[in-house]
Amino acid sequence: MLNKTSQLKKTALLIALAGAMTSQSVHAANWLMVQGTEKDHQAPRAKVWGFVQAEYQQTDDTKLKAGPYAGKAAAFNQMAPQLDTSQGFNVRRARIGVRGNNFPLDNKINYFILAEFGNNGITTGGDASQGQLTDASVTLNHIPGARIRAGLFKTPGAEEGLQAIPVFNYVNFTNVTDRLLLERHFDNSTNNTGRSQSVGAFRDTGVQVFDAFRVGDWEHSYAVMLGNGNGLAMTDKDKHQDLYLYASTEKILDNSKGPRRAGLKFFAWMQDGKRTLDDVGTVDRKRSGLGTTYWDGKYRLAAEYITADGMIYGGTKGAGTPDDGATFSVLTDEKASGYYLDLGYRVLPKLELNVRYDMLDSGTEEDANHREFQTTTLGAQYFFNKKTSVRLNYEMRSIDAPDLPAASPVHDILDSIDDRLSAQVSLVF
Amino acid sequence: MKQKLNQSILTLLLSLVFTLPVMAAQQEAPLPETFAEHKVVLQISDSDPFKQTLVLNVAANLQRYYGASNVDIEIVAFGPGVRLMLQDNVNQPRIQSMIEGGIRFSACSNTLKNFAKKLGEDPLVMPGVNRVPAGAGRILQLNAAGWQLLKP
Repeated sequence: MLNKTSQLKKTALLIALAGAMTSQSVHAANWLMVQGTEKDHQAPRAKVWGFVQAEYQQTDDTKLKAGPYAGKAAAFNQMAPQLDTSQGFNVRRARIGVRGNNFPLDNKINYFILAEFGNNGITTGGDASQGQLTDASVTLNHIPGARIRAGLFKTPGAEEGLQAIPVFNYVNFTNVTDRLLLERHFDNSTNNTGRSQSVGAFRDTGVQVFDAFRVGDWEHSYAVMLGNGNGLAMTDKDKHQDLYLYASTEKILDNSKGPRRAGLKFFAWMQDGKRTLDDVGTVDRKRSGLGTTYWDGKYRLAAEYITADGMIYGGTKGAGTPDDGATFSVLTDEKASGYYLDLGYRVLPKLELNVRYDMLDSGTEEDANHREFQTTTLGAQYFFNKKTSVRLNYEMRSIDAPDLPAASPVHDILDSIDDRLSAQVSLVF
Repeated sequence: MKQKLNQSILTLLLSLVFTLPVMAAQQEAPLPETFAEHKVVLQISDSDPFKQTLVLNVAANLQRYYGASNVDIEIVAFGPGVRLMLQDNVNQPRIQSMIEGGIRFSACSNTLKNFAKKLGEDPLVMPGVNRVPAGAGRILQLNAAGWQLLKP
Protein backbone atom coordinates (compact mmCIF):
# COMPACT_ATOMS: atom_id res chain seq x y z
CA MET A 1 0.00 0.00 0.00
CA LEU A 2 2.84 2.31 0.94
CA ASN A 3 4.61 1.61 -2.33
CA LYS A 4 1.39 2.14 -4.26
CA THR A 5 0.83 5.43 -2.49
CA SER A 6 4.35 6.57 -3.08
CA GLN A 7 4.19 5.59 -6.76
CA LEU A 8 0.89 7.36 -7.19
CA LYS A 9 2.25 10.51 -5.60
CA LYS A 10 5.35 10.45 -7.81
CA THR A 11 3.23 9.93 -10.90
CA ALA A 12 0.87 12.70 -9.88
CA LEU A 13 3.75 15.04 -9.15
CA LEU A 14 5.34 14.40 -12.53
CA ILE A 15 2.01 14.84 -14.24
CA ALA A 16 1.37 18.02 -12.29
CA LEU A 17 4.75 19.46 -13.17
CA ALA A 18 4.19 18.64 -16.82
CA GLY A 19 0.82 20.32 -16.64
CA ALA A 20 2.23 23.35 -14.88
CA MET A 21 4.99 23.75 -17.45
CA THR A 22 2.53 23.72 -20.32
CA SER A 23 -0.26 25.74 -18.75
CA GLN A 24 -0.71 29.40 -19.63
CA SER A 25 -1.62 31.75 -16.85
CA VAL A 26 -1.89 34.87 -18.93
CA HIS A 27 -4.75 36.71 -20.53
CA ALA A 28 -5.62 36.75 -24.18
CA ALA A 29 -4.01 39.47 -26.30
CA ASN A 30 -6.98 41.73 -26.31
CA TRP A 31 -5.31 44.83 -24.91
CA LEU A 32 -8.54 46.30 -23.56
CA MET A 33 -9.12 43.14 -21.53
CA VAL A 34 -5.49 42.38 -20.68
CA GLN A 35 -4.94 45.80 -19.15
CA GLY A 36 -8.42 46.55 -17.84
CA THR A 37 -9.66 43.33 -16.31
CA GLU A 38 -8.54 40.40 -14.19
CA LYS A 39 -9.33 36.72 -14.45
CA ASP A 40 -12.52 35.94 -12.55
CA HIS A 41 -11.90 34.48 -9.08
CA GLN A 42 -8.22 33.99 -9.82
CA ALA A 43 -6.64 37.39 -9.39
CA PRO A 44 -4.73 38.01 -6.19
CA ARG A 45 -5.33 40.97 -3.92
CA ALA A 46 -2.09 42.54 -5.16
CA LYS A 47 0.16 41.12 -7.84
CA VAL A 48 3.47 42.95 -8.12
CA TRP A 49 4.81 43.01 -11.66
CA GLY A 50 6.86 45.14 -14.01
CA PHE A 51 9.57 45.17 -16.62
CA VAL A 52 13.01 46.56 -17.44
CA GLN A 53 14.27 47.57 -20.87
CA ALA A 54 17.91 48.59 -21.09
CA GLU A 55 19.35 49.62 -24.43
CA TYR A 56 22.20 50.94 -26.50
CA GLN A 57 21.70 53.31 -29.43
CA GLN A 58 24.10 54.79 -31.91
CA THR A 59 24.18 57.07 -34.95
CA ASP A 60 27.13 58.53 -36.86
CA ASP A 61 26.41 61.92 -35.27
CA THR A 62 26.48 63.69 -38.62
CA LYS A 63 26.37 67.44 -38.01
CA LEU A 64 23.74 69.66 -39.55
CA LYS A 65 24.77 70.62 -43.07
CA ALA A 66 22.79 73.85 -43.28
CA GLY A 67 20.38 76.13 -41.49
CA PRO A 68 20.69 78.19 -38.29
CA TYR A 69 22.53 75.39 -36.50
CA ALA A 70 24.82 74.34 -39.33
CA GLY A 71 27.84 72.47 -38.06
CA LYS A 72 26.13 71.60 -34.79
CA ALA A 73 24.49 68.42 -33.54
CA ALA A 74 21.30 67.34 -35.27
CA ALA A 75 18.41 66.53 -32.89
CA PHE A 76 17.35 63.51 -34.95
CA ASN A 77 20.82 61.99 -34.56
CA GLN A 78 20.78 62.25 -30.74
CA MET A 79 19.41 59.91 -28.14
CA ALA A 80 16.05 60.85 -26.64
CA PRO A 81 14.98 62.23 -24.30
CA GLN A 82 17.99 64.46 -23.44
CA LEU A 83 19.24 64.86 -27.05
CA ASP A 84 22.80 65.51 -25.94
CA THR A 85 24.65 62.42 -27.19
CA SER A 86 24.53 60.36 -30.35
CA GLN A 87 25.44 57.05 -28.73
CA GLY A 88 25.32 55.36 -25.38
CA PHE A 89 23.42 53.18 -22.95
CA ASN A 90 20.08 54.00 -21.41
CA VAL A 91 17.53 52.35 -19.17
CA ARG A 92 14.62 53.43 -21.27
CA ARG A 93 11.94 51.70 -19.24
CA ALA A 94 11.90 50.43 -15.67
CA ARG A 95 8.33 50.05 -14.56
CA ILE A 96 6.85 48.46 -11.50
CA GLY A 97 3.19 48.07 -10.76
CA VAL A 98 0.53 46.35 -8.73
CA ARG A 99 -2.75 44.95 -10.00
CA GLY A 100 -5.50 42.60 -8.88
CA ASN A 101 -8.83 42.37 -7.07
CA ASN A 102 -8.49 44.51 -3.95
CA PHE A 103 -11.19 42.36 -2.31
CA PRO A 104 -10.56 38.95 -3.85
CA LEU A 105 -14.04 37.58 -3.08
CA ASP A 106 -15.59 40.31 -5.24
CA ASN A 107 -14.51 39.53 -8.78
CA LYS A 108 -16.48 42.50 -10.09
CA ILE A 109 -13.85 45.07 -9.16
CA ASN A 110 -10.19 45.24 -10.12
CA TYR A 111 -7.44 47.85 -10.21
CA PHE A 112 -4.18 48.59 -12.05
CA ILE A 113 -1.31 50.82 -10.91
CA LEU A 114 2.01 51.31 -12.71
CA ALA A 115 4.91 53.74 -12.34
CA GLU A 116 7.87 54.52 -14.59
CA PHE A 117 11.41 54.87 -13.25
CA GLY A 118 13.31 54.72 -16.56
CA ASN A 119 14.77 57.60 -18.57
CA ASN A 120 12.35 58.60 -21.30
CA GLY A 121 9.72 61.15 -22.27
CA ILE A 122 7.50 60.10 -19.39
CA THR A 123 10.06 60.94 -16.71
CA THR A 124 11.29 64.17 -18.33
CA GLY A 125 9.70 67.47 -19.30
CA GLY A 126 8.16 70.10 -17.04
CA ASP A 127 7.59 68.78 -13.53
CA ALA A 128 8.02 65.12 -14.52
CA SER A 129 10.33 63.12 -12.31
CA GLN A 130 12.15 59.79 -12.41
CA GLY A 131 9.31 58.04 -10.64
CA GLN A 132 6.24 58.98 -12.59
CA LEU A 133 2.80 57.45 -12.26
CA THR A 134 1.64 56.16 -15.65
CA ASP A 135 -1.46 54.16 -14.76
CA ALA A 136 -3.94 54.20 -11.88
CA SER A 137 -7.35 52.81 -12.69
CA VAL A 138 -10.32 50.98 -11.24
CA THR A 139 -12.55 48.73 -13.35
CA LEU A 140 -16.17 47.98 -12.39
CA ASN A 141 -17.44 44.81 -14.07
CA HIS A 142 -21.04 44.85 -12.87
CA ILE A 143 -22.90 45.56 -16.10
CA PRO A 144 -22.80 42.71 -18.63
CA GLY A 145 -21.34 44.02 -21.88
CA ALA A 146 -20.37 47.37 -20.40
CA ARG A 147 -17.39 47.27 -18.10
CA ILE A 148 -16.41 50.67 -16.74
CA ARG A 149 -12.79 51.69 -16.24
CA ALA A 150 -11.97 55.01 -14.59
CA GLY A 151 -8.69 56.74 -13.83
CA LEU A 152 -5.42 57.08 -15.73
CA PHE A 153 -4.72 54.40 -18.34
CA LYS A 154 -3.90 53.69 -21.98
CA THR A 155 -6.43 55.12 -24.38
CA PRO A 156 -8.09 52.81 -26.91
CA GLY A 157 -6.25 53.48 -30.16
CA ALA A 158 -3.39 52.51 -32.41
CA GLU A 159 -1.77 49.11 -31.94
CA GLU A 160 1.75 50.39 -31.21
CA GLY A 161 0.45 52.59 -28.43
CA LEU A 162 -2.15 50.28 -26.96
CA GLN A 163 -0.15 47.07 -26.93
CA ALA A 164 1.88 45.97 -23.92
CA ILE A 165 5.31 47.46 -24.54
CA PRO A 166 7.26 44.38 -23.36
CA VAL A 167 5.95 42.51 -26.41
CA PHE A 168 6.69 45.35 -28.82
CA ASN A 169 8.85 43.84 -31.55
CA TYR A 170 11.19 46.81 -32.09
CA VAL A 171 13.26 49.20 -30.03
CA ASN A 172 11.87 52.43 -31.48
CA PHE A 173 8.38 53.40 -32.58
CA THR A 174 7.51 54.10 -36.19
CA ASN A 175 7.59 57.74 -37.31
CA VAL A 176 3.81 57.85 -37.58
CA THR A 177 3.34 56.66 -33.99
CA ASP A 178 6.21 58.69 -32.61
CA ARG A 179 5.30 62.02 -34.17
CA LEU A 180 1.51 61.83 -34.44
CA LEU A 181 0.45 59.76 -31.43
CA LEU A 182 3.16 60.03 -28.78
CA GLU A 183 1.97 63.47 -27.84
CA ARG A 184 4.41 66.15 -26.69
CA HIS A 185 2.77 68.84 -24.60
CA PHE A 186 3.92 72.44 -24.98
CA ASP A 187 2.77 75.77 -23.56
CA ASN A 188 2.92 77.49 -26.96
CA SER A 189 2.84 76.50 -30.60
CA THR A 190 6.38 77.85 -31.22
CA ASN A 191 9.52 78.90 -29.36
CA ASN A 192 9.19 76.25 -26.64
CA THR A 193 12.50 75.57 -24.91
CA GLY A 194 11.14 72.21 -23.78
CA ARG A 195 8.03 70.16 -23.09
CA SER A 196 5.69 71.43 -20.41
CA GLN A 197 5.08 67.94 -18.97
CA SER A 198 5.63 64.23 -19.64
CA VAL A 199 4.83 62.91 -23.08
CA GLY A 200 1.28 61.61 -23.33
CA ALA A 201 2.49 57.99 -23.39
CA PHE A 202 -0.76 57.03 -25.19
CA ARG A 203 -2.59 57.60 -21.91
CA ASP A 204 -5.27 59.86 -20.54
CA THR A 205 -7.30 60.39 -17.41
CA GLY A 206 -10.99 59.66 -17.82
CA VAL A 207 -13.62 56.97 -17.96
CA GLN A 208 -14.01 54.15 -20.48
CA VAL A 209 -16.87 51.75 -21.22
CA PHE A 210 -15.69 48.58 -22.91
CA ASP A 211 -16.03 44.83 -23.25
CA ALA A 212 -15.20 41.85 -25.41
CA PHE A 213 -17.51 39.16 -26.73
CA ARG A 214 -16.44 35.71 -27.83
CA VAL A 215 -18.42 34.21 -30.71
CA GLY A 216 -16.92 30.88 -31.66
CA ASP A 217 -13.30 31.51 -32.66
CA TRP A 218 -13.91 35.23 -33.05
CA GLU A 219 -13.64 37.88 -30.38
CA HIS A 220 -15.29 41.26 -30.89
CA SER A 221 -14.38 44.24 -28.71
CA TYR A 222 -15.36 47.83 -28.32
CA ALA A 223 -14.37 50.81 -26.20
CA VAL A 224 -15.74 54.30 -25.75
CA MET A 225 -13.71 56.69 -23.62
CA LEU A 226 -14.00 60.25 -22.47
CA GLY A 227 -10.79 61.79 -21.16
CA ASN A 228 -9.15 65.08 -20.27
CA GLY A 229 -6.87 64.95 -23.29
CA ASN A 230 -3.98 66.10 -21.17
CA GLY A 231 -1.75 63.02 -21.15
CA LEU A 232 -0.39 61.82 -17.84
CA ALA A 233 -1.53 64.95 -16.02
CA MET A 234 -4.36 64.22 -13.61
CA THR A 235 -6.38 67.29 -14.46
CA ASP A 236 -7.13 69.19 -17.63
CA LYS A 237 -5.93 72.53 -18.99
CA ASP A 238 -9.35 73.38 -20.35
CA LYS A 239 -12.98 72.34 -20.16
CA HIS A 240 -12.85 70.24 -23.33
CA GLN A 241 -12.78 66.47 -23.09
CA ASP A 242 -11.41 64.07 -25.69
CA LEU A 243 -13.58 61.32 -27.14
CA TYR A 244 -11.99 57.97 -27.98
CA LEU A 245 -13.71 55.21 -29.97
CA TYR A 246 -12.29 51.76 -30.69
CA ALA A 247 -13.56 48.53 -32.24
CA SER A 248 -11.80 45.31 -33.09
CA THR A 249 -12.55 41.80 -34.23
CA GLU A 250 -10.12 38.94 -34.01
CA LYS A 251 -10.10 35.39 -35.29
CA ILE A 252 -8.29 33.46 -32.56
CA LEU A 253 -6.12 30.67 -33.90
CA ASP A 254 -5.58 27.39 -32.06
CA ASN A 255 -7.51 28.71 -29.05
CA SER A 256 -4.22 30.29 -28.03
CA LYS A 257 -3.72 32.73 -25.18
CA GLY A 258 -1.23 35.28 -23.96
CA PRO A 259 0.19 38.60 -25.11
CA ARG A 260 1.45 36.85 -28.23
CA ARG A 261 -1.83 35.11 -28.93
CA ALA A 262 -2.08 33.65 -32.42
CA GLY A 263 -4.80 35.33 -34.40
CA LEU A 264 -5.90 37.65 -37.16
CA LYS A 265 -7.16 40.98 -35.86
CA PHE A 266 -8.76 43.94 -37.57
CA PHE A 267 -9.26 47.19 -35.71
CA ALA A 268 -10.35 50.78 -36.21
CA TRP A 269 -10.24 53.77 -33.89
CA MET A 270 -10.63 57.51 -33.66
CA GLN A 271 -9.82 60.26 -31.19
CA ASP A 272 -11.37 63.71 -31.20
CA GLY A 273 -10.26 66.43 -28.81
CA LYS A 274 -9.01 69.92 -28.28
CA ARG A 275 -5.81 71.43 -26.91
CA THR A 276 -5.34 74.82 -25.35
CA LEU A 277 -2.08 76.69 -25.90
CA ASP A 278 -1.09 80.04 -24.44
CA ASP A 279 -0.42 81.71 -27.79
CA VAL A 280 -3.09 80.35 -30.13
CA GLY A 281 -5.84 79.34 -27.72
CA THR A 282 -7.94 76.23 -28.25
CA VAL A 283 -7.36 74.10 -31.34
CA ASP A 284 -8.59 70.75 -32.59
CA ARG A 285 -6.62 67.52 -32.31
CA LYS A 286 -8.06 64.58 -34.24
CA ARG A 287 -6.59 61.18 -34.91
CA SER A 288 -7.96 58.07 -36.56
CA GLY A 289 -6.68 54.80 -37.89
CA LEU A 290 -7.34 51.29 -38.99
CA GLY A 291 -5.12 48.28 -39.10
CA THR A 292 -4.56 44.58 -38.85
CA THR A 293 -2.28 42.16 -37.03
CA TYR A 294 -1.57 38.50 -37.76
CA TRP A 295 0.53 35.94 -35.91
CA ASP A 296 0.43 32.18 -36.29
CA GLY A 297 3.49 31.18 -34.30
CA LYS A 298 5.81 31.41 -37.29
CA TYR A 299 4.75 34.35 -39.42
CA ARG A 300 3.78 37.77 -38.14
CA LEU A 301 2.24 40.73 -39.94
CA ALA A 302 1.11 44.14 -38.77
CA ALA A 303 -0.10 47.08 -40.81
CA GLU A 304 -1.85 50.29 -39.88
CA TYR A 305 -2.90 53.50 -41.58
CA ILE A 306 -3.24 56.63 -39.45
CA THR A 307 -4.47 60.14 -40.15
CA ALA A 308 -4.07 63.28 -38.05
CA ASP A 309 -5.69 66.69 -38.10
CA GLY A 310 -4.25 69.39 -35.87
CA MET A 311 -1.48 69.45 -33.28
CA ILE A 312 1.21 67.86 -35.45
CA TYR A 313 4.59 67.68 -33.71
CA GLY A 314 7.01 69.96 -35.55
CA GLY A 315 10.32 68.99 -33.95
CA THR A 316 13.04 71.55 -33.26
CA LYS A 317 13.89 74.62 -35.26
CA GLY A 318 16.40 73.79 -37.98
CA ALA A 319 16.70 70.30 -36.42
CA GLY A 320 19.01 71.77 -33.80
CA THR A 321 19.24 70.54 -30.24
CA PRO A 322 17.90 72.36 -27.16
CA ASP A 323 21.47 72.58 -25.87
CA ASP A 324 22.29 74.76 -28.88
CA GLY A 325 19.22 76.90 -28.33
CA ALA A 326 16.82 75.28 -30.80
CA THR A 327 13.19 75.52 -29.73
CA PHE A 328 10.28 73.12 -30.25
CA SER A 329 7.12 73.76 -32.21
CA VAL A 330 3.78 72.13 -32.82
CA LEU A 331 1.84 72.72 -36.05
CA THR A 332 -1.60 73.43 -34.67
CA ASP A 333 -3.52 73.64 -37.97
CA GLU A 334 -1.65 71.09 -40.05
CA LYS A 335 -2.59 67.61 -41.20
CA ALA A 336 -0.67 64.37 -41.59
CA SER A 337 -1.08 60.74 -42.45
CA GLY A 338 1.11 57.69 -42.45
CA TYR A 339 1.33 53.96 -42.32
CA TYR A 340 3.58 51.05 -41.51
CA LEU A 341 3.98 47.51 -42.73
CA ASP A 342 5.72 45.09 -40.39
CA LEU A 343 6.71 41.49 -41.09
CA GLY A 344 8.18 38.89 -38.80
CA TYR A 345 9.42 35.36 -39.35
CA ARG A 346 10.35 32.95 -36.56
CA VAL A 347 13.28 31.18 -38.20
CA LEU A 348 13.89 29.23 -35.00
CA PRO A 349 11.57 28.84 -32.01
CA LYS A 350 13.67 31.41 -30.15
CA LEU A 351 14.81 33.62 -33.04
CA GLU A 352 12.64 36.02 -35.02
CA LEU A 353 13.71 38.16 -37.95
CA ASN A 354 11.81 41.39 -38.58
CA VAL A 355 11.50 43.99 -41.27
CA ARG A 356 9.35 47.08 -41.04
CA TYR A 357 8.71 49.96 -43.41
CA ASP A 358 7.01 53.09 -42.14
CA MET A 359 6.10 56.31 -43.86
CA LEU A 360 4.82 59.61 -42.47
CA ASP A 361 3.49 62.39 -44.66
CA SER A 362 3.52 65.30 -42.23
CA GLY A 363 2.38 68.92 -42.62
CA THR A 364 0.52 68.38 -45.85
CA GLU A 365 -1.41 71.68 -45.84
CA GLU A 366 1.52 74.03 -46.46
CA ASP A 367 4.53 73.42 -48.68
CA ALA A 368 6.91 74.84 -46.07
CA ASN A 369 5.73 72.37 -43.47
CA HIS A 370 5.52 69.31 -45.67
CA ARG A 371 7.95 66.52 -44.72
CA GLU A 372 8.11 62.88 -45.72
CA PHE A 373 9.64 60.58 -43.12
CA GLN A 374 10.58 57.11 -44.31
CA THR A 375 12.28 54.40 -42.30
CA THR A 376 13.06 50.80 -43.10
CA THR A 377 13.99 48.80 -40.02
CA LEU A 378 15.77 45.47 -40.05
CA GLY A 379 15.51 43.59 -36.80
CA ALA A 380 16.21 40.38 -34.96
CA GLN A 381 14.82 39.17 -31.66
CA TYR A 382 16.12 36.33 -29.53
CA PHE A 383 13.84 34.99 -26.81
CA PHE A 384 15.70 33.46 -23.86
CA ASN A 385 12.28 32.55 -22.50
CA LYS A 386 8.77 33.96 -22.71
CA LYS A 387 9.67 36.90 -20.50
CA THR A 388 13.24 37.74 -21.42
CA SER A 389 14.47 38.76 -24.87
CA VAL A 390 17.07 40.81 -26.70
CA ARG A 391 16.47 42.69 -29.92
CA LEU A 392 18.79 44.31 -32.41
CA ASN A 393 17.55 46.94 -34.88
CA TYR A 394 19.08 48.82 -37.76
CA GLU A 395 16.98 51.74 -39.03
CA MET A 396 17.59 53.21 -42.48
CA ARG A 397 16.09 56.66 -42.16
CA SER A 398 15.34 59.52 -44.50
CA ILE A 399 13.38 62.77 -44.40
CA ASP A 400 12.41 64.75 -47.48
CA ALA A 401 10.73 68.08 -48.12
CA PRO A 402 9.01 67.33 -51.46
CA ASP A 403 7.34 70.70 -51.94
CA LEU A 404 10.36 72.94 -51.40
CA PRO A 405 12.57 74.17 -54.27
CA ALA A 406 15.75 72.24 -54.88
CA ALA A 407 17.85 75.17 -53.70
CA SER A 408 16.24 75.25 -50.28
CA PRO A 409 18.71 74.67 -47.41
CA VAL A 410 16.07 72.49 -45.77
CA HIS A 411 17.13 69.64 -48.06
CA ASP A 412 20.66 69.83 -46.68
CA ILE A 413 19.36 69.92 -43.12
CA LEU A 414 17.23 66.82 -43.70
CA ASP A 415 20.09 65.11 -45.50
CA SER A 416 21.95 65.16 -42.18
CA ILE A 417 19.86 62.34 -40.75
CA ASP A 418 21.79 59.15 -40.02
CA ASP A 419 20.81 55.53 -39.91
CA ARG A 420 20.40 54.28 -36.34
CA LEU A 421 21.60 51.13 -34.63
CA SER A 422 19.94 49.98 -31.43
CA ALA A 423 20.04 46.99 -29.13
CA GLN A 424 17.76 46.27 -26.20
CA VAL A 425 17.38 43.66 -23.50
CA SER A 426 13.86 43.30 -22.17
CA LEU A 427 12.76 41.46 -19.03
CA VAL A 428 9.27 41.14 -17.58
CA PHE A 429 8.66 39.92 -14.04
CA MET B 1 -39.44 9.59 42.25
CA LYS B 2 -41.99 9.74 39.42
CA GLN B 3 -41.53 13.51 39.19
CA LYS B 4 -37.75 13.06 38.96
CA LEU B 5 -38.21 10.52 36.17
CA ASN B 6 -40.50 12.87 34.29
CA GLN B 7 -37.94 15.66 34.66
CA SER B 8 -35.22 13.38 33.28
CA ILE B 9 -37.35 12.39 30.30
CA LEU B 10 -38.20 16.04 29.67
CA THR B 11 -34.52 17.00 29.86
CA LEU B 12 -33.65 14.18 27.49
CA LEU B 13 -36.35 15.19 25.02
CA LEU B 14 -35.31 18.84 25.16
CA SER B 15 -31.69 17.83 24.65
CA LEU B 16 -32.67 15.80 21.62
CA VAL B 17 -34.72 18.64 20.18
CA PHE B 18 -31.78 21.06 20.46
CA THR B 19 -28.98 18.70 19.48
CA LEU B 20 -30.59 16.94 16.52
CA PRO B 21 -30.16 19.86 14.08
CA VAL B 22 -26.55 20.28 15.21
CA MET B 23 -25.94 16.59 14.67
CA ALA B 24 -27.57 16.82 11.29
CA ALA B 25 -25.42 19.79 10.36
CA GLN B 26 -22.27 17.94 11.35
CA GLN B 27 -23.30 14.78 9.56
CA GLU B 28 -20.68 13.72 7.08
CA ALA B 29 -21.45 13.78 3.39
CA PRO B 30 -21.99 10.28 2.03
CA LEU B 31 -19.03 8.38 0.65
CA PRO B 32 -19.15 7.94 -3.10
CA GLU B 33 -19.71 4.44 -4.42
CA THR B 34 -16.87 3.46 -6.66
CA PHE B 35 -15.20 0.38 -8.04
CA ALA B 36 -12.17 2.28 -9.26
CA GLU B 37 -8.77 0.78 -8.53
CA HIS B 38 -7.32 4.17 -7.54
CA LYS B 39 -9.05 6.70 -5.34
CA VAL B 40 -7.64 10.20 -4.99
CA VAL B 41 -8.73 13.30 -3.11
CA LEU B 42 -7.07 16.55 -4.22
CA GLN B 43 -6.87 19.48 -1.82
CA ILE B 44 -7.04 23.13 -2.89
CA SER B 45 -6.87 25.64 -0.05
CA ASP B 46 -4.99 28.41 -1.84
CA SER B 47 -6.27 31.17 -4.12
CA ASP B 48 -3.06 31.28 -6.14
CA PRO B 49 -4.11 31.08 -9.82
CA PHE B 50 -1.11 28.87 -10.54
CA LYS B 51 -2.31 26.36 -7.93
CA GLN B 52 -5.88 26.56 -9.23
CA THR B 53 -4.66 25.56 -12.66
CA LEU B 54 -2.29 22.99 -11.20
CA VAL B 55 -4.95 21.09 -9.23
CA LEU B 56 -7.14 20.91 -12.34
CA ASN B 57 -4.19 19.75 -14.43
CA VAL B 58 -3.36 17.03 -11.92
CA ALA B 59 -6.94 15.77 -11.85
CA ALA B 60 -7.27 15.80 -15.64
CA ASN B 61 -3.93 14.17 -16.18
CA LEU B 62 -4.55 11.47 -13.55
CA GLN B 63 -7.83 10.61 -15.23
CA ARG B 64 -6.14 10.52 -18.62
CA TYR B 65 -3.28 8.41 -17.26
CA TYR B 66 -5.35 5.76 -15.46
CA GLY B 67 -8.58 6.00 -17.42
CA ALA B 68 -11.83 7.41 -16.08
CA SER B 69 -13.12 4.06 -14.87
CA ASN B 70 -9.91 3.21 -13.02
CA VAL B 71 -9.52 6.29 -10.88
CA ASP B 72 -12.04 8.09 -8.68
CA ILE B 73 -11.16 11.74 -8.14
CA GLU B 74 -12.64 14.33 -5.83
CA ILE B 75 -11.30 17.87 -5.55
CA VAL B 76 -12.05 19.39 -2.16
CA ALA B 77 -11.72 23.13 -1.63
CA PHE B 78 -11.66 25.02 1.62
CA GLY B 79 -10.44 28.44 2.72
CA PRO B 80 -9.30 30.71 -0.14
CA GLY B 81 -9.24 27.64 -2.38
CA VAL B 82 -13.04 27.77 -2.63
CA ARG B 83 -12.66 30.66 -5.12
CA LEU B 84 -11.88 27.95 -7.67
CA MET B 85 -15.47 26.72 -7.46
CA LEU B 86 -17.28 30.06 -7.41
CA GLN B 87 -19.49 30.97 -10.33
CA ASP B 88 -17.64 32.79 -13.15
CA ASN B 89 -14.22 31.54 -12.12
CA VAL B 90 -12.14 31.72 -15.27
CA ASN B 91 -11.85 27.91 -15.15
CA GLN B 92 -15.62 27.35 -15.06
CA PRO B 93 -15.98 25.85 -18.56
CA ARG B 94 -13.16 23.46 -17.80
CA ILE B 95 -14.61 22.50 -14.42
CA GLN B 96 -18.06 21.91 -15.92
CA SER B 97 -16.46 19.63 -18.47
CA MET B 98 -14.54 17.77 -15.75
CA ILE B 99 -17.73 17.31 -13.73
CA GLU B 100 -19.35 15.80 -16.79
CA GLY B 101 -16.30 13.57 -17.05
CA GLY B 102 -16.86 12.16 -13.56
CA ILE B 103 -14.59 14.26 -11.37
CA ARG B 104 -16.34 15.52 -8.22
CA PHE B 105 -15.87 19.00 -6.81
CA SER B 106 -16.66 19.71 -3.16
CA ALA B 107 -16.73 23.13 -1.55
CA CYS B 108 -16.50 23.72 2.20
CA SER B 109 -19.74 25.07 3.67
CA ASN B 110 -17.91 26.69 6.59
CA THR B 111 -15.80 28.69 4.14
CA LEU B 112 -18.87 29.64 2.12
CA LYS B 113 -20.55 30.91 5.30
CA ASN B 114 -17.50 33.05 6.04
CA PHE B 115 -17.52 34.33 2.47
CA ALA B 116 -21.21 35.25 2.90
CA LYS B 117 -20.43 37.22 6.05
CA LYS B 118 -17.70 39.18 4.28
CA LEU B 119 -19.66 39.67 1.07
CA GLY B 120 -22.98 40.46 2.70
CA GLU B 121 -24.60 37.87 0.43
CA ASP B 122 -24.26 34.18 -0.37
CA PRO B 123 -21.49 33.53 -2.89
CA LEU B 124 -22.65 31.73 -6.01
CA VAL B 125 -21.17 28.27 -6.41
CA MET B 126 -20.86 26.65 -9.82
CA PRO B 127 -23.57 24.18 -10.77
CA GLY B 128 -22.52 20.60 -10.08
CA VAL B 129 -20.26 21.48 -7.17
CA ASN B 130 -21.17 19.66 -3.94
CA ARG B 131 -21.27 21.47 -0.64
CA VAL B 132 -19.72 19.51 2.21
CA PRO B 133 -20.06 20.54 5.86
CA ALA B 134 -16.31 20.98 6.32
CA GLY B 135 -13.68 20.73 3.58
CA ALA B 136 -10.95 19.51 5.92
CA GLY B 137 -13.38 17.01 7.43
CA ARG B 138 -14.28 15.73 3.98
CA ILE B 139 -10.63 15.12 3.20
CA LEU B 140 -10.17 13.18 6.47
CA GLN B 141 -13.33 11.19 5.75
CA LEU B 142 -12.21 10.23 2.26
CA ASN B 143 -8.66 9.57 3.37
CA ALA B 144 -9.88 7.24 6.12
CA ALA B 145 -12.00 5.41 3.56
CA GLY B 146 -9.04 4.75 1.26
CA TRP B 147 -8.73 7.88 -0.87
CA GLN B 148 -5.15 9.02 -1.18
CA LEU B 149 -4.58 12.69 -0.50
CA LEU B 150 -2.64 14.86 -2.93
CA LYS B 151 -1.90 18.53 -2.30
CA PRO B 152 -0.38 19.88 -5.53
